This record gives sequence, structure tokens and C-alpha cells, in this order.
Amino acid sequence: MAKLLLFLTLIPLLPFLCTSFSPENPSSRRALVLLDDLALKSSHSDFFKSLQSRGFDLDFKLADDPKIALQRYGQYLYDGLILFCPTTERFGGSVDLAAILDFVDSGHDLIVVADTNASDLIREIATECGVDFDEDAAAMVVDHTSYAVSETEGDHTLIASDDFIKADVILGGKKIEAPVLFQGIGHSLNPANTLVLKVLSASPSAYSANPKTKLANPPSLTGSAISLVSILQARNNARILISGSLNMFSNRFFKSGVQKAGSSIKHEKSGNEQFLTELSKWVFHERGHLKAVNVRHNNAGEADEPAMYRISDDLEYSVEIYEWSGTSWEPYVADDVQVQFYMMSPYVLKNLSTDKKGHYFTAFKVPDVYGVFQFKVEYQRLGYTSLSLSKQIPVRPYRHNEYERFIPAAYPYYGAAFSMMAGFFIFTGVHLYNK
Amino acid sequence: MAKSTSKDAQALIQSLRSAYAATPTNLKIIDLYVVFAIFTALIQVVYMAIVGSFPFNAFLSGVLSCTGTAVLAVCLRIQVNKENKEFKDLPPERAFADFVLCNLVLHLVIMNFLG
Repeated sequence: MAKLLLFLTLIPLLPFLCTSFSPENPSSRRALVLLDDLALKSSHSDFFKSLQSRGFDLDFKLADDPKIALQRYGQYLYDGLILFCPTTERFGGSVDLAAILDFVDSGHDLIVVADTNASDLIREIATECGVDFDEDAAAMVVDHTSYAVSETEGDHTLIASDDFIKADVILGGKKIEAPVLFQGIGHSLNPANTLVLKVLSASPSAYSANPKTKLANPPSLTGSAISLVSILQARNNARILISGSLNMFSNRFFKSGVQKAGSSIKHEKSGNEQFLTELSKWVFHERGHLKAVNVRHNNAGEADEPAMYRISDDLEYSVEIYEWSGTSWEPYVADDVQVQFYMMSPYVLKNLSTDKKGHYFTAFKVPDVYGVFQFKVEYQRLGYTSLSLSKQIPVRPYRHNEYERFIPAAYPYYGAAFSMMAGFFIFTGVHLYNK
Repeated sequence: MAKSTSKDAQALIQSLRSAYAATPTNLKIIDLYVVFAIFTALIQVVYMAIVGSFPFNAFLSGVLSCTGTAVLAVCLRIQVNKENKEFKDLPPERAFADFVLCNLVLHLVIMNFLG
């Protein structure tokens, strides 16, 4: 009896256990962190603590742990994947390249970190994301003019870079004062790829080569073409961060001061912590994630949505756009959202005005063409998720009785016809009574 | 040579005028009616040439009413003319009745097509 009662009281609690991450409930996001070496858990604890303080539930596992799995029975177990395992040749369990790509294709986020002597598997993952690491596995980024002054290392592989991407959405509103310390392998981006962006580039004097051997031929990767940290926003709005240095995330680099060679300013703390914290906020959709709801259109002055418009009607269109701030949906404010009234090509293209509370609206006249149109909003901006809204609406021509009754241009013809009738009457009279 | 042609033209017009003066009055009235109809048609065509043919049905209706009236009046004149051997046996009242009925049909069609 007692067992039955216990069972019955526990049943209602089941739904609460089953809720996974939804934007309305951010405090239960889960991420899988795959490590080469469990010592990384403590040597990179500051970065992990910053994630955990934002509500992430991190699951630390060794990369070749045979029990790791991204999904079970078709449901994904994690909302994000962090790969801090540059030298892993093969993942354990059911994780492999295809599983990771499926994970991203289903809309989840990924952080991939490579380093010197990165394994082929990590390089392949990066290539699938549009980023090409240097072919020479032992190469590192060396910079003889932009290195970080340090007492211990003199081979200029520890570089200080402050060549950030200019996007507040990605790096946060606050300027990063100190340069970011980097020690690892560089990569290049295919210029034809429009989805991938360089967040931290190397200075023009950097090059990628093995510091321990003599340079036989000129290095293939040089200058600002070398990207140290890149991001990708896929077409399904999944976000990927690719970095070439694991040390960049470490506590040692977070806490150390930095002085760029050639400059006399000595910063107490490197920009690594601020840079990576802000970047991780962007990667995990705490910034720059837009949603558009409540698309409405109606005739000017009316409240309900008609099934069809007529040419030369006055209509109003409105949409609400919000941005996720990490804890709640805030109104998105911008002045460059446009709506198109589209049939094979946009007949009307208008900027939407906003009331700064997330409500975007405009009014225009239906063009003098009938057919099936679409209200299209295509909004793609750097660092923001892309909005692609489309609502179909037919437009009909004038009905038979919607034209003007008497056309002013035709008055002479009306006059002529009536004058003929009058002439006819007069003529008959004259003809009959004429002797 | 020029002088003779102009003189010929003048003589021609003179003879035409004197011959026309001999026609009966009722035929002259019909001729006046025809000229009025043709003149109205011409005005409409000039108007269309200037303004464009926007309500084309109205244009056609106006011009057709004028032309139709002219044609029916000419038919009446032919049938009523006593000098015309072909219609010697046709009573002029019958010709007039035909004229009236045809005009009624014409104006009915015109009113419909005018829009």
C-alpha cells in the first residue's frame, strides 16, 4: 500500500525530469566536454567555471571513453559539444566524424580546439567546417614582431594578437583592451566560403612553420590570411568555434599579463578570459539569436487578415523580432529590416520601422499587377541568426463593378452617341411633317 | 494649261451646284443629316488620335453609331428618291418604317456597347 502511494506521488514528478533545454528554461543546458587528459579539467577550470556559472551542465569525459554517446534512442543528450582533445585519433563509444556532423546539422553548437600535432580526425572535423589547418602537423604560428614578451619562451611562438573581428554581437559590447595570447597552429579560410569568419587573425608578419626545424621552403600560410580563431554560423543557425590553441583556454594564459613586443604597454591581465567568455556566449546562442514571431498583414484600417488583396489596395504589414539575451527575449532594435512584396522579383521593397519594443511595421500600396505574391523578410547580418520569413497572398484585379461607372476620357463618345439619338428624333419629325 | 484646268474645275463645281439646287427639299434634309453624322464621326476619330484609345469600346460605340446612322440615312434617301427607278414600287412610308426600326436596333446595340 505504501509502495503504491509512493509510486502515485512520484508519477506527477516525471514531466519535470523530462524537460530538456528550451529557451524558456536556460538553467538546464548540457554540454559534453571531451578531453585528451583529465588534467585539463583543472588546468582550464576558469573557462569551464565561466560556462557553468551561466547554467551549463558540463559532462567531462576522456575522448576515448567507450561509453560516450551523443544521442540515445534518437534523442540528443547534449545541447553543445566541446572538443578539447587535439591529439585524439579516434573517439570512443558511438562518437565519430559522422555523428559529430549530424549533431551540428541538427542545430547544436560545437567548439573544436586543435593544437600543434593535431590528429587527422580533428583536422577532418575542421575541414568539414570550412577551415583548413596547416598541412604540416608540427607547424606553429610564429611571429617575430608581434610576439608576447616572456622570460621563459624565446622562440616567438607565443604571440599576442589584437586583430579582432569588428562585431559587437560576437565579441560583446565592451572593447577588449589587452591582446590575446595564442600559442598553437594556424588555419586559413576558403575565401569563397561565406559562412565562416575570422574572429582573431594573426598580424601581417606572422607565418606558420615548424619552429624546431629549418625552413626548407617559404611557408604556405603567412600574414593576416592566418586565422587563429574562426567561427562558422551554419545555414541552420548552428554555431561552431574553431581555435588553433588549447593553451589559449588555460588558466595560465587567462591570468598572465601580456606585453606585445615593440610596445611599452604592459597589461596586467591578457584579453583571453574576456575574449573567450564573450565568444562562448555567442557560440551558445546567448547573443545574436533572433526570432521573428507574429507576422501579420491587413488592409489599412482593418484588423483581420484577408485571404486575398486587390490591386491598388493599401495594406499594412507587421512582424515582431526578439533577441535572446541569455535569460530572456529582448526586443531587437535595428533599422535595416526590410520586407519584400515578391513575385519572381520584388515589386515593393520597404524598410520596416520599429517602435523599439520589437514591433516592426510598414504600410504600402499593392502594385498594379495581379498574381500570387509573397511577403518575404530575408534578414542576414554578421553574427546574427538568419531570418527567412515568407507568407503567400494572392492579389486579384478589379471586379467588374469596381471600375468607375462613367469614364471621363470617354465623355465625347457618350456625347456623340446621345447626339445621334437626338438627331434621329429630330430628323424623323422633320421628315414626316415636311411637305 | 493650268488656267484651263482651274476653269474646268470651276465649271464643274458650278454645274454640280446648279444640279444640286434642283433636288427636292426632303432629300436635302436627309443629306444634311448624313453630313452631321459623318462630321461627328470625324470629330471622335480626331479626339482618339489625340488622347489615345483608352476606353476602346466607348470609341467604337460612338463611331459606329455615327457611321450606322449615316448608312441608314443613305439607304432611306435611296428608297425615298422618286428619280430612282429601282425602288419605284416601294411606298415611301415602308422605307421610313424600315429606317425607324433599324435605327432602334442600332441605338440599342450602341447603348449596350457604350459601357
